[in-house]
Amino acid sequence: MPVFEFALVAATNFFFYTLTVSWTALAVVAFWPLFLATRLLTRWPWDKAARWWVWIYGRAWLALVYPVVRFRRSGFPPHGLERPSILVVNHQSFFDTFFMGGLPFFDVSFAVRAWPYKMFWFRPIMRMAGYLAVETDSFEATRDRARDLLGRGAHLLFFPEGHRSRDGRLGRFYGGAFRLAVETGAPVVPLVLTGTGPMLPPGRFWVRPTRVRLTALPAIDPSPYTGELAHRDLMAAVREAIARHLEGTPAPCGEIS
Amino acid sequence: MTDTEVITLVNDRIAEEFELAPEAMRPEATLFVDLGLDSLDIVDLVVVLESTFHLKIRDDKALREIRTLGDVHAYVIRKRSELAATA
Repeated sequence: MPVFEFALVAATNFFFYTLTVSWTALAVVAFWPLFLATRLLTRWPWDKAARWWVWIYGRAWLALVYPVVRFRRSGFPPHGLERPSILVVNHQSFFDTFFMGGLPFFDVSFAVRAWPYKMFWFRPIMRMAGYLAVETDSFEATRDRARDLLGRGAHLLFFPEGHRSRDGRLGRFYGGAFRLAVETGAPVVPLVLTGTGPMLPPGRFWVRPTRVRLTALPAIDPSPYTGELAHRDLMAAVREAIARHLEGTPAPCGEIS
Repeated sequence: MTDTEVITLVNDRIAEEFELAPEAMRPEATLFVDLGLDSLDIVDLVVVLESTFHLKIRDDKALREIRTLGDVHAYVIRKRSELAATA
């Protein structure tokens, strides 16, 4: 790598990581008083107030890292989703969850595996926000909590691949989100995230300046899917929609020239 | 259907339903670790086996002993034999 290019990459990454770590440290400390004040002023449920501040954190992060990562979204209905939905997103990078701050609505509960709870600075906030612990809770417990959240107007967000793609291609899906959709009747909204793979794929630690786009595809109603394996048919339809959109996305979907 | 044909059909159905590579379908492959299935996938696997081989197995306690793909092969072959014996 030429010296100039190396210096540029080093400076970019110093800027990006310094901002991300500083902002996260500040946000984790400031969260609690702001969260309590929000709860008192709005009378929102505790978890909803927490989810609002998580969304604010993500939005502010997107603004801070704008020189390195240009974010855009498309396809979302101008007046929001018609009803509480299950959002499913492809997964390419550690920072994918950060880009969910770019959603045009805040009341979103994430489905989270066990390992994110090991980040002690996020753990109490995730618990307060009522996230779905899909790896440690039983499906029945998750379903009951999902019903409660959907009933109160929240959306649920899943990364159905379960982990980041290792080769940049869409991986196989796990069925939990789709089983919930069939059992609760909530529509599934496929979301396609492009650009985060080139930005920071698994196995690399330096970020590359990138354009990231979050695209909402038309919602899929689970009611036409019937039978014991209805959720798998629904899952196949959603995966097909995301895969087709990814195939139509220009390959270097990302880099800032 | 011979045992070999049963094994081939089990592998084909699992690979198709769970989007697994054919080369991953080794008898020693563990369902959770090597094939990456989760507990909900196992529930679906039982439904797939029932519909493919016309079995009624979802309440069978022996299912809890299954760890590997080879265990699935042996289980299906045994169940088919029991079904044939009672027919």
